[in-house]
Amino acid sequence: MVEDETLLARQIETALLDARYAVDCAADGERADFLGRTERYDAIVLDLGLPKIDGLTLLRRWRDAGLFVPVLVLTARGSWHEKVQGIDGGADDYVSKPFRMEELLARLRALIRRASGQVTAELRCGDLILDSRSAKVTVAGMPVKLTGHEFRVLSYLMHHRGRVVSQAELTEHIYAQNFDRDSNTVEVFIARLRRKLGASLIETVRGLGYRIEAGQ
Amino acid sequence: MRLVNSLRWRVILGSLLWTAGLLPIAHLIFLVFIPRAPGVLRMNHVGLLMLAVMFMAAGLLGLRSGLSPFKELRSRLSDVRGGRDSRVGGNYPVELKPLVSDLNTLLEHRERVVKRALATAGDLAHGLKTPLAVLAQEAERAEAAGHADIAGAIAQQVERMRRQVDYHLAHARAAASGATPGARCSVLVSVEGLSRTLRRLHVDRELDIAVRVSAEHSARGQREDLDEMLGNLLDNACKWAKSRVVIESSQAAAVVLITVDDDGPGLAASMRESVLQRGVRADEAAPGSGLGLAIVRDLAELYGGSISLETSPTGGLRARLQLPAC
Repeated sequence: MVEDETLLARQIETALLDARYAVDCAADGERADFLGRTERYDAIVLDLGLPKIDGLTLLRRWRDAGLFVPVLVLTARGSWHEKVQGIDGGADDYVSKPFRMEELLARLRALIRRASGQVTAELRCGDLILDSRSAKVTVAGMPVKLTGHEFRVLSYLMHHRGRVVSQAELTEHIYAQNFDRDSNTVEVFIARLRRKLGASLIETVRGLGYRIEAGQ
Repeated sequence: MRLVNSLRWRVILGSLLWTAGLLPIAHLIFLVFIPRAPGVLRMNHVGLLMLAVMFMAAGLLGLRSGLSPFKELRSRLSDVRGGRDSRVGGNYPVELKPLVSDLNTLLEHRERVVKRALATAGDLAHGLKTPLAVLAQEAERAEAAGHADIAGAIAQQVERMRRQVDYHLAHARAAASGATPGARCSVLVSVEGLSRTLRRLHVDRELDIAVRVSAEHSARGQREDLDEMLGNLLDNACKWAKSRVVIESSQAAAVVLITVDDDGPGLAASMRESVLQRGVRADEAAPGSGLGLAIVRDLAELYGGSISLETSPTGGLRARLQLPAC
């Protein structure tokens, strides 16, 4: 999340954390550029009026460099001409300030869903349903309580069903950048998920990572 | 009075007086020299008369062409005023050149001042938007904490401020574009950019946005303003459309007509006027209702155009935007 106004940045971060996302914050263009190029994010919320490098320049640079992470532009500049520039610069969505947090979250969710080729907010796998809108998981209609990290692991695997996801990739997606990472913990989360959701759901592909079968 | 104030008549009067002065001198010359050298003037009367007429005609022509730069200056200035040109161009005699260059300097200066004022207005507007966003979030938090009344009051005021900022910024921009003449913009370029943008923003809806606009059509004014007008109309159409939005344009004489059709539920005739109502009164409008169409109307009128709403042949709403062509 790239926003130079600290108060707003904290508000958005809180809302994103409440929605169970792992969040990195950048307050200027240079930091955002560095993070954007070195980390793999599911989505970036980008303010356009930034110190050091402005958001639109940053966005164009990323796109020119072949970086196709979904970007939601969040800006005070709300005229249609500016929206066209933002979209042509490579933005996937555009929200102008002031905004409703609900709307921002909904749009972000849709963006991440689209990027992974999903069309609805609900991800199904057998009798397991993950609702990315409410961040709730049910098995055969019964709600299952998951921690934030467990939810992110499950959500990532379900967004990429049928594909083997490496431990490193999972680690990158479930932790914020400044978090002390330990790849062993991914194993811990997988073990806990298996305990809560049944052993057969998540398959271990030895030496490569984990997979949830697409056909299940 | 009119004659005294006319440059042309003053020049003619001046040359008449000059001629009147020449006559006695000529008379004197004839009286003194002709008796002494009777053979000098052999021409007959007809020849003399023709010579005189020729000189006079040449004089009049010279006078006419001498005054023609004024005519040119006037038409060039009206081009600038009408937005067909941004500077006074053309070739002028040395006496007029400094005047024309002063005029152009003045135009340039005015353009710069307006641009600066506009940038300041923009900075002010955008500077206010982020604190407003913070306030809006605080209101949401207050609501979550059970202070619904405070939250409601803050949210309402934030919305009012946002409308005021949007409205006056759009207005300032449009008013300023009258001060930077010579702008023209292609309808197709605007429409294509906007339809790309709207397809992206409404990607989940899988709308079919059909563009039937000729590359020849262009409107007088700033691209930003045309984008703002068409953006609001297209966004509105996309919001209400079931599956299809059509944008068409036609140009006749000095007017370019752009229609935006959607296949949505349409709008009752009694409602059409009220959605176009002036934006300054927007705080009295229903909460949450967009300011978009009111801005379109204001911008269109500032440019000497108009907007009207009617029933589309596809069953939804049709917006007709008429603007001065270029």
